[in-house]
Amino acid sequence: MIPELGQGALLAALALAAWGAGAAAFGARARRPALVESAQHAALGVFGLVSLALGLLIYAFLTFDFAVRYVAMNTNLGTPFYYRITGVWGALEGSIVLWGWMLCLYTLIVILRHRERAHELYPWALSVLFVVTAFFLIVMTLAAPPFARLTPVPADGRGLNPLLEDTGMITHPVALYLGFTGFTVPFAFAVAALAAGRVGDTWITLTRRWTITAWYFLSLGLLIGGWWSYHVLGWGGYWAWDPVENAAFMPWLTGTAFLHSVMIQERRRMLKLWNVTLVILTFALTLFGTFLTRSGIIASVHAFTQGAVGVVFLSFLAVVVLVSLGLLAWRWDALRAQGELDSVLSRESAFLLNNLLLVAAAFTVFFGTVFPLLSEALRGVKVSVGAPFFNQVNVPLFLALIFLMGVGPFIAWRQASLRHLTRNFLVPVAVGAAGALLFALLGVRSALAVLTLALTLFAAATIALDFGRATRARLGRGERLLPAMGGLLVRRNRRYGGFVVHLGILLIAVGITGSQAWSVQTETTLRVGEAAELAGYRIRFDGLQASEESNHFKVTGAFTVENGRVRPAVMQPSKKFYRQETSPIAGVDYWIGLREDLYLVLGDFSRDGRQATVKVQVNRLVTWIWIGGGVLTLGALLAILPERREAG
Amino acid sequence: MTKFIAGGAIILLAIAYLIYAGVTQSVVYFVTPSELAAAPEPGKAYRLGGLVAPGSVRWEPQRLDLSFSLTDGARSVLVRHHGTPPDLFGEGRGAVVEGRWTPEGVFRATLILAKHSEEYTTPGAAGDAGYRELLKSLRGSP
Amino acid sequence: MKGLGRWLIPLSAVPVLALLAYGFRLDPRAIPSPLLDRPAPAFSLTTFTGGPLALESYRGQVVVLNFWASWCYPACYDEAPVLEEGWRDWRARGVVVIGVDIQDTEEKARKFITDFGLTFPNAPDTRGTVAIDYGVYGVPETFFIDRRGHIRQKHVGAVTHQVFRATVERLAAEPADPGG
Repeated sequence: MIPELGQGALLAALALAAWGAGAAAFGARARRPALVESAQHAALGVFGLVSLALGLLIYAFLTFDFAVRYVAMNTNLGTPFYYRITGVWGALEGSIVLWGWMLCLYTLIVILRHRERAHELYPWALSVLFVVTAFFLIVMTLAAPPFARLTPVPADGRGLNPLLEDTGMITHPVALYLGFTGFTVPFAFAVAALAAGRVGDTWITLTRRWTITAWYFLSLGLLIGGWWSYHVLGWGGYWAWDPVENAAFMPWLTGTAFLHSVMIQERRRMLKLWNVTLVILTFALTLFGTFLTRSGIIASVHAFTQGAVGVVFLSFLAVVVLVSLGLLAWRWDALRAQGELDSVLSRESAFLLNNLLLVAAAFTVFFGTVFPLLSEALRGVKVSVGAPFFNQVNVPLFLALIFLMGVGPFIAWRQASLRHLTRNFLVPVAVGAAGALLFALLGVRSALAVLTLALTLFAAATIALDFGRATRARLGRGERLLPAMGGLLVRRNRRYGGFVVHLGILLIAVGITGSQAWSVQTETTLRVGEAAELAGYRIRFDGLQASEESNHFKVTGAFTVENGRVRPAVMQPSKKFYRQETSPIAGVDYWIGLREDLYLVLGDFSRDGRQATVKVQVNRLVTWIWIGGGVLTLGALLAILPERREAG
Repeated sequence: MTKFIAGGAIILLAIAYLIYAGVTQSVVYFVTPSELAAAPEPGKAYRLGGLVAPGSVRWEPQRLDLSFSLTDGARSVLVRHHGTPPDLFGEGRGAVVEGRWTPEGVFRATLILAKHSEEYTTPGAAGDAGYRELLKSLRGSP
Repeated sequence: MKGLGRWLIPLSAVPVLALLAYGFRLDPRAIPSPLLDRPAPAFSLTTFTGGPLALESYRGQVVVLNFWASWCYPACYDEAPVLEEGWRDWRARGVVVIGVDIQDTEEKARKFITDFGLTFPNAPDTRGTVAIDYGVYGVPETFFIDRRGHIRQKHVGAVTHQVFRATVERLAAEPADPGG
């Protein structure tokens, strides 16, 4: 009953979405408001139907309805309650339903915000949103139906992938999808602008908050993914340049470029063509990311599945890219620039360079990810491209970007004079250089670390200088200190929100530098009573305990840890044996600190419990990555606030 | 205007060079045991893929010394690795190792990537019995 | 860019899309088996209906040897109808489907056979030796053995109609005598 109801709802939603796409487009072209209204009603209907389908899927999970194949594959009778809800999006079919649901939600929000203003772009954008929703519904009804039946009904399900039984994995897909789907809206308005021939600023101004929000959720999703990788996977790292990680990183890079280049268009009427291209590229990369994870063309730890889904995604990607780029070519003349670059030393130039570097980084990641395919297609040689390539090429690019972070927001428009440059940058450059000297004197041997930290100091100093000067100006007008600072953040929230985001990125850079340059690790086998030592920590093996949980067996190692500063305490890394998995899953135990993290992974152990192999890592400054993420969140929130410019 | 195009071109060329250098230095070649045994090049970075030959795994926990044979049915290659293998590693399973060929005739692996397959399902009831045995033997210790 | 030059932009996407499409033809998950092209290990079991089941007795026919278990879903559930249909379609042409049930209970196995209406020979691997001989690691796994008794293909995961038909067609066309 429920499977049929669910599939029926999805099919009806597909029909309504197709209708909505046509009605909105026709209503836009023929200027018939009645059709657009009909499309709006259709959107409400689609949202209701997809919500019903999602609700039924969750219900099937909660009631152990193993007649539904997707439920049988992803839960078993022992799966804890909350994972029965979040496991819904833990594999292919359910994740597409969640994606589709978010698209419907966003469509409704677009309608609510834009229908009263009744301008030209809105119906076209609505039509594009419907088309994208319809595509995902096609996947849900034809290629990967979530309600497919399983006969005969098994007595118990297979179970959720144990790696997904973690808070990080509950939130990581949600945040990522909110980001991915969020970029559909600026894309829709860009295509609308091309279709309607209104390629000015309108589509950018309308979607500014969407872009920031989508960008933020994508950033959050990436950070949570890194957190999960670090704390759950047991290899002590947070980023592996895995193809699926790259798939989410690429739209983030081009999305960041887009975020910045629209500021140039708003101010100088330049880069119109570039901006449209960027948003199309970003949206295409979000589709490409989904395609990569679900098509099986690139071997990855993550890869979900193969089959018809990949073909459908590639086809849609092809349609999106060819149609939108075709529209762009059609409107070529209208997209020509009206302004010109005056000087290399200008804000326009800095932003352009920023874009160039970000897109180059995205291209590098793309190239490295598909290079194996290219190599096999052209030379028949199977190769793989690993972390060293990505690090080698991207590190210089990111360092240059950090430098630009300090220059771009503060250098003058059009042309910067020498006096201006000295006034704004001499002090920060001095700070950066002093910092470099200090680190070198403190004994930091890695030249790369010194350079990164110096650049980070430089960029932070430019922000501090600007903020300090603005605050001083307010103080000069009679305001008190804290209200002056707060006032700046709130009244000039676009500017300072952006700066806070930059500070967050700088903190992340510090965290990455620290963890790459100064982390240490060791691996030893200990008998009961023996201890290992690393970086001032003494880790003594006390023994193993075994227990039976609701859906797995667990072996826990007890290790007493002490160093000079902290009281001895027990850490308990474990190994969990799930019935449905062919190998055990490691449970990492860790201490988090500002300066360093202590990280223990239980490896092999003897059957009598008297000997265990343990991997110990002391990772430095990693926590600053997560702190940076928090600062980034605050900055994004600030930037989204409605603008309230003060009088005078 | 030409200044900018020239500047942009220089930057693009620099990035292209970075990519070229990066790829040629860090690209790793996939080989099967037969291919490697036919023409091994010492010092070259390889990714060797095959099946972990049943009965070939030797694990010395005190020295963290792991050695096993990777086979593709025709030839086998002896692999040595320092450190515990990843959880997905095991006899009779597919694995990909990354490392270099040593002149002593052994493949020294720096990374083991074991294959994770969605299609496989493990023993239900039979597996449980095995785990209960493990629990019993562990609980026997203090 | 004048006139037609602008259309280079959408066209430039075509090679990239073509490259991605090419990716479909490749399989990054192929796992080699040491048993390929070797003689299939002999076994001698007793079927669920009490009769003998020995691999030797099928020499000269194409043998589709399928390892399954009642607790294996959904993969075994998916392929059971495929195997049954393949058995009915091809038995007249010298192809036999054999099922070996591993690490299972007899009651559940019999229920599985009844539920899916399987009519091809099925036997439990009571001592577990057959699975070990064939290097079976999980279920389902299917071995395609040619008329001369050599293993020619190993399929991991549920067998689909396409895979069954394509492989069996190829092997059935081969002669039974070597050098023939």
